[in-house]
Formats: sequence, structure tokens, C-alpha cells
Amino acid sequence: MTTATIRGIAATTTHAPSTLDEAQALLVAAAAAQQTVAFVGGSTELGFGYAPTRVDVLIDTTKLDRVIEYQPADMVVEVEAGVTLAALQAHLAPHGQRLALDAPDPKRATIGGLVSTNAFGPLRARFGSMRDLIVGVSFIRADGARVRGGGKVVKNVAGFDLPKLAVGSLGSLAMIATVTLRLHPLAQAALGVDATLSADDIAKVVRESFRVQLEPAMLVASRQDSGDYRLTAVFEGFDSGAREQRERFLELGRTFDASIRANDDAVAHVAARDYGARCAGDVRVRIAMPPAEFARAERDVVGPLVRAFADVVNDGAEPSQTIAYPSLGIVFVAGTLRHDASADRANIASGRVADAIVAARRAAEVRGGNLVVTHCDDAVVSERVDVYGTLPPSFALMRGLKDRFDPEHRLNPGRFLGKL
Amino acid sequence: MHEREALGVKVSTVPTLEVTALERDLATAVGQRNCITDPSGLSTYECDGLTGTRIRPRAVVLPETTEQVAAAVRVARAHGMAVVPRGAGTGLSGGALPVDGCLLVVLSRMTKILTVDLENRRMRVQPGVINLDVTKMIAPHGYYYAPDPSSQSVCTIGGNIAENSGGAHCLKYGFTVNHVVAATVVLADGSVVEIGANAVDPLGYDLIAAVVGSEGMVGIVTEAVVRILRVPELTRTFFATFPSTDEAGACVSAIVSAGIVPAAVEMIDSLAIEAIVKSTGVDWPLDVGAALLMDVDGTKAEVEHTAAAAVEIARNAGAIEIRTPKDAAERLLMWKGRKGAFAAMGRISPNYYVQDGVIPRSQISKVLREIASAGATQGLRVANVFHAGDGNLHPLVLYDARVPGEAHRAEIVAGEILSICLRAGGSITGEHGVGTDKAKYMGKMFTDDDLESMNFVRCTFDPQRAFNPGKVFPTPRLCGDIPGHFHAHPTELAGTAARG
Repeated sequence: MTTATIRGIAATTTHAPSTLDEAQALLVAAAAAQQTVAFVGGSTELGFGYAPTRVDVLIDTTKLDRVIEYQPADMVVEVEAGVTLAALQAHLAPHGQRLALDAPDPKRATIGGLVSTNAFGPLRARFGSMRDLIVGVSFIRADGARVRGGGKVVKNVAGFDLPKLAVGSLGSLAMIATVTLRLHPLAQAALGVDATLSADDIAKVVRESFRVQLEPAMLVASRQDSGDYRLTAVFEGFDSGAREQRERFLELGRTFDASIRANDDAVAHVAARDYGARCAGDVRVRIAMPPAEFARAERDVVGPLVRAFADVVNDGAEPSQTIAYPSLGIVFVAGTLRHDASADRANIASGRVADAIVAARRAAEVRGGNLVVTHCDDAVVSERVDVYGTLPPSFALMRGLKDRFDPEHRLNPGRFLGKL
Repeated sequence: MHEREALGVKVSTVPTLEVTALERDLATAVGQRNCITDPSGLSTYECDGLTGTRIRPRAVVLPETTEQVAAAVRVARAHGMAVVPRGAGTGLSGGALPVDGCLLVVLSRMTKILTVDLENRRMRVQPGVINLDVTKMIAPHGYYYAPDPSSQSVCTIGGNIAENSGGAHCLKYGFTVNHVVAATVVLADGSVVEIGANAVDPLGYDLIAAVVGSEGMVGIVTEAVVRILRVPELTRTFFATFPSTDEAGACVSAIVSAGIVPAAVEMIDSLAIEAIVKSTGVDWPLDVGAALLMDVDGTKAEVEHTAAAAVEIARNAGAIEIRTPKDAAERLLMWKGRKGAFAAMGRISPNYYVQDGVIPRSQISKVLREIASAGATQGLRVANVFHAGDGNLHPLVLYDARVPGEAHRAEIVAGEILSICLRAGGSITGEHGVGTDKAKYMGKMFTDDDLESMNFVRCTFDPQRAFNPGKVFPTPRLCGDIPGHFHAHPTELAGTAARG
């Protein structure tokens, strides 16, 4: 069984139902007893969100691991929430299909968890995020009712869009019981290119590649100590198509970096770097901005934050890892605050990082974006930096949704935006 | 026109004095020239694209700014009136059908394109901007707006947002909800709220998904930020004919199984081909059972591969003839034939009733046979022209309203078609919306608890149920702890629509 603690709050009881009926019974009982309920899948993103105020019942979804319906010809699959991403992909691959979502840690990450946290990976550049892939959902509501939204066909506008409401809801509206997803064909070829470029040049290369109508499946840039980025572009498709795109990108990139080169293992390399920068470190943030802001963001959002981590680490460990999805305007920074210093010096170090995150957040918000702390093991940073930042102007509507779906605020209480 | 015959006309009668006070308040809110309260002016707005049902609104306003929309909503609420938003009125489900005594807020004068941000691939537009005008604005730069309902030359972005409109090319590129990232929304109390963001993943719940496809029931979008896409390097189109819809359906499945994601795959059956040929003059053969019109797009080498593979698959699937357009003009003509299909039905039938059900793609052949049989049972023909790639059927039940009982039989067939779609595991609507037309079928697709959950969303935005009351939900729904004025659906009052 997985951890029974969420952000330091221990669950009073933990259950791992193996059927949806059992899960429903747990929610019905919790409703009757006025108990709070939290959900856990593969525990890959448990650090995200505020600490819950109380967890009477923790429902571990990992035994809800059945593929309910899969008709390869329809390219749609319905699964229980606890199916892992890796298990799903293994189920689909023999039919030449996949879920076009490559979130980190697929062997642990569950589909329900991916929906709940709106997780994604580099393929988002081409295929979008969970909201673009989910076509149906079934919930077990706070009152124990089983409800469905959407359906099992890709095109469907009957009724309000409950599936997308589940995306990113962090278990605060209802238990995600089943998820129906649209699928894509597995690519015959996925060919990569590596180049080392300044943030300015990355912005130019990305812009230029769109101008010449290339369609990269991944554009991922990991920051080097020098402040330059190692950009990896991956082109997918049928062999001839992927190859032609790669040739054109190599040619385009040569103007900016003479040492640009093909990389046939790019997908594996990207996954490793993506994972490293997103799943390691004591303090992890995700910054989102309009994509054209990427070069400026390096100067006044990412750069200063990375330098703050570098300044406070004194044991020679790599202070931070940064990975950017420049075409989407997303940057992940994961830093580590392990050091051998005294408690006083540690507090000062954490304080500096906290200040840098707050400043970076302000710069991101000014540009119409946001900075979310996705994980934080450092008490000083937790104390001084809010998880989400400035509440959006529509927050009253969000609170309204929470009030309607979970009037007693018993589901994952306190964890979501605005401590809902 | 060639829609259903009128089911009933209800004109509300309102005391003159009250109208005067209302007229005065509305004129203050939006300006005299943007108000319509005279009966002849109002009659223009009695229905949308679902012309069979007509209800005269109590007043119509055509605001020009967000502030005017907000002021008009406040006036309506102060007078206890429901508010129904409307764009170009092209909707096919009665989403913009007035409700009795309502204020109809027509957004067709809000036609400004506010910002074009090619670098971030975003445009901010007012709701009355015509869908195709978004693309026209950016086409010189090599960009376009992806959702392409067949009515795209006249329908508005605001209406597209309300209905989550699709189109032929949403098979690959997604629906309106995948292409709207932020919006300014006027709520029922006349307040204005910004939702979504230019950047990806705005904080909190996905309110854009709550608003897009809400069929005018949560608020009025007065500005929207849409995503725009770079035009693909190459698009290859081909048109293939088959002995019957069985072979055509098998061809679609085989193409998809081969790992090809076409930009669009449309199926046209023999009846629809006949109508299109008579109406548009395309030189499609009349002695075939079905045709497919397909686009493959992307980078050059990729498209050359996939187009060649798709043609090969079509040949193996039993295609009689495969045509590729010799130039852009011929390609445009092929698509014009497809997009003009509904209008063309007049050439083969005085009236038709269009449905919008969706089925899993693998069941196309089986379902088409069941639909034909349902039509035959009532002595009616059913033409089919639809988005085969995503299983979104558009069966056109052909009838003659002058023949007593035919309209009624057409409705029976249309209802049976939706039941067939649901039995196949599909949906009652893929892109036209539920509106008034299909509200009574919602209970067949969803349980009471499902609908209650959807109503949570609506009530969060509009606890008084001021916006578009009576639409979508099969039975009137309250908003729980926050009481409001219930407006019965006018067709119910008129006794013309029952709910199940």
C-alpha cells in the first residue's frame, strides 16, 4: 500500500478498494459519518497542493486497475482510475496505439492521478494536454452518487463538460472513478535533433520552425550552467516524413549552432532529462507564460531563480535542474537545498530561494502567466511561498463549483487553489 | 425553408405600459438604435436555424460593448425577464430560440477583432465576429482558425463557443473548446469576469470548459481569446466512390487502423450525392452507393506518404473511382459540395429533419443500415452526409410537410435515430448542441444524477437560471439552496413539446 500521509498529514484510515462498488461504499460511509476523504494513486504528485486540513479516509486507487473497454477500431479506451500510464500503454501498443501523453514516472503514475493533477510530458507540444485527450469521466461524488459526463465517442457536445472539469481538480470535486480517453497511433519513427543555444536563439529557432511549417512532436530545452539551453526537437510520423522534417530542422538550426546534430535516441534522452528536472529536488516549481515570453523569461524569471539555488548550495551537489517547453511557454525548475551548513545558514539559504521564487512569480504573473510550487520539502520555503500565487479573478466561480459538488468540503479539504 | 414545418407559434402578449418602462431602460442600457421592441422587428428573431419552433422575444437588444451587454442583462433581471443570447442564429438545435417573455441579446454587432498576436498564436475577438473572418484576417500570414462548422461563412465565434462547434476538420484538430483559451463573460447579475488565460494551464478549475458548450446557460461571452494555427505545409484531398456505405465505412476504419489521422473524412451517401449534384453542379457520379471526401494534411513528405497509403487502402476497400483535385479551385469545389449538402436537400425533398448523433466509428455500417430501416418503417427516405472519421452522423430524414402525418413520422424516425446511436454507445449530439430540440433525449443518455452534476455547473454561474432557461435539461431543474424564478419552457406552455 502507498503512503498514508499527504504533505505531513496522516490519514486516519487507508483503504484500497478493488472495485468501484467498494469505492462507492467508502464514499457513502464517509458521507454518513461526515468524514473527510482524500485520494491517492501512484503517489507521484502528492507534494502538489496545500496540505489537507484533515484526512479521515484515504482511498488508494491503485487496485482499481482494470481496462473497462477498448475497441482498437474506435481509438478510445475506458479505464479505471488506478490503471498506470505504463500499463495502459502496454495494453494499447500491440494494436499500434497509444495515449499521446508522456507524463513522468509512467510505471507509478495512474490515469486518475494524471487527470487530477493535469500532468503532461514533452508530447504536449504536438498533442495537447489531458483536456485535449479526455472524452469521458465517471465520478463518485461526495454524496456517494455515481455519475458520468461526456461519453465514449470523441465528438460529443451533449451536456456540460464534466470530463474537463475533472482535469486539474486535484480530488477536490469528486473521486475520479473511470476515465475515457481518445488515442493516437504509435509513430512509426521518432527522430531527434540536439543543439545548444541561448534562450534568445531558442525563441528564434522555435519561431522559425513554425514559420517553415515543421510540426515537432517535442521541443524540450534543458538549461546548462552557462545559461544556454540544450534543445532537443523530436519529429514523429511515418519514416519518410519524420526524416524529412529532421533534415529541414538540422538545416534551419545550423545557422544558430554549427554543432547541431541528429540524435536517434532523443526520446529516451528527453524522458530522462524531463524526469530528472521534474521529479527530483526539494523545491520544484512550474512556470507558465505566453510562449513568446520565453527569452525574456530566461532573463528575469528563470535565470535569477537558478542563480539563487546555485548560491545557496555548498556541498557541490547540482543545485538545480531546469527544463523548458519553449513552444508552450512552460518552464520547470527543480532545486535542492541539501547542505552541510548550520541551521542558521540553512534558514538564510532557504530564505534566499523563497525570495527568488516570489520574485519569479511576480515576473511571471505580470506577463500573464503563473508560477506554481509543485513540490516543497523545505519548511522555510513552504512558510514563505504560497503554492499558487495570486488568485484568479474568477475564483468566486471556482469556489461555487466546489460548494455545489462538495457542499461540506469533505473531499481533499484545503488542498486546492484558495485552500478549497 | 426546407426545415421542419412550423410546430406552433406562440407570441407573447405584454401590457403596453410595462413595455414602455422596459423600452426606456433598455435604451439607456444599450442606446435606442440597438433596441428592437416592435412586433415586426421582433419577428426576425423568433427562431434560429431550427425553424420549426418560433417564439417571439419580448425585446431584442444588439449591444456593441461588454458594458452594454452587462447593462442589458441588469435591465432584464430588474424586469424579471429571462435572457437568451444569440449570435448569427444559425444553430440547428434551438439554442437561440427565445423563451417566452425574454430579452434576446444579439451579439452580431460586436464584430471587432481586438488583437492579433501571431507570436503567441492568439487572437482576441468579440463574439459577433464571423468564424471565417478570423481565418481571413490571418490567412495572409499563413495562419488559420481550426474549427470549421459548415456554416462558417455566417456563424459567429460567440455562437461557436456556446455550442462548442465542430466541423469536418475537428477530427484532427479538435473542437471549439480546444481552441478557446480565455474569455470575458457577463454573468447573470450583470457582473463581468475574466476566465482562462493567454498562458497555458491557468490556476484552478477549467472554467473555459464550463463555458464552451454551455449553450448560453451560464453567461454571455463578450470577448474571447482563440488559438490560431499555422497552415499545414501541404493538404491532399481525394474523393473516392464506393458501391455502398459498407465499403466506404470499412475504408475509413482501414485508414485509421493504418495509423493515419486524416484532417477530415466525410461520407456522403447516394441520396446526398444526388442532392449535391443537382444543387451545386459538381460532377460526382450518380450511380454509386457512397463517397468519401478526405483531407490529409501536414508536412510535405508525411502527407505524400499518408495520401498515397490512403489511396491504396481505398482501392483495396473496393473504391470504384478515386479522384484527386487538379488544383486548389477544384478542391474548394469539392468541399463546397460537401458544406452545401444540407441546403442541397431541397432538390430532392421539400422538407428534412437533420439529426446529429454520434456513434463509435467501427459501427458505421451497421448503424446506417438500422437508420435506413427505421426510415423505411415510416415510409421515409434518410440521406446521410457526415463526419465519418469521428462517427458524427448527420442523417437527414426527408419528408413532405404537405402530406398529412409525414412531419410527425419524420420526428419519430429522428427520435429512433438517436436511440440507435445511444444503443451503439454514442451520443445524441456531436456538434449541433442539445438546445430545445434534443432536451427530451438527454434523459436517455444521462441519469438524473448525471444531469444534476451538470446542473451544478450551470447553477454555479447562474443560480437564478436567468440565462436560456428550459434548454438542454429534460426536466426543469432548480438550483438547490438558492431560489430563483422558474421559467417554464415555452414549448411546454404551448403544449408542443413533451419531456421524457
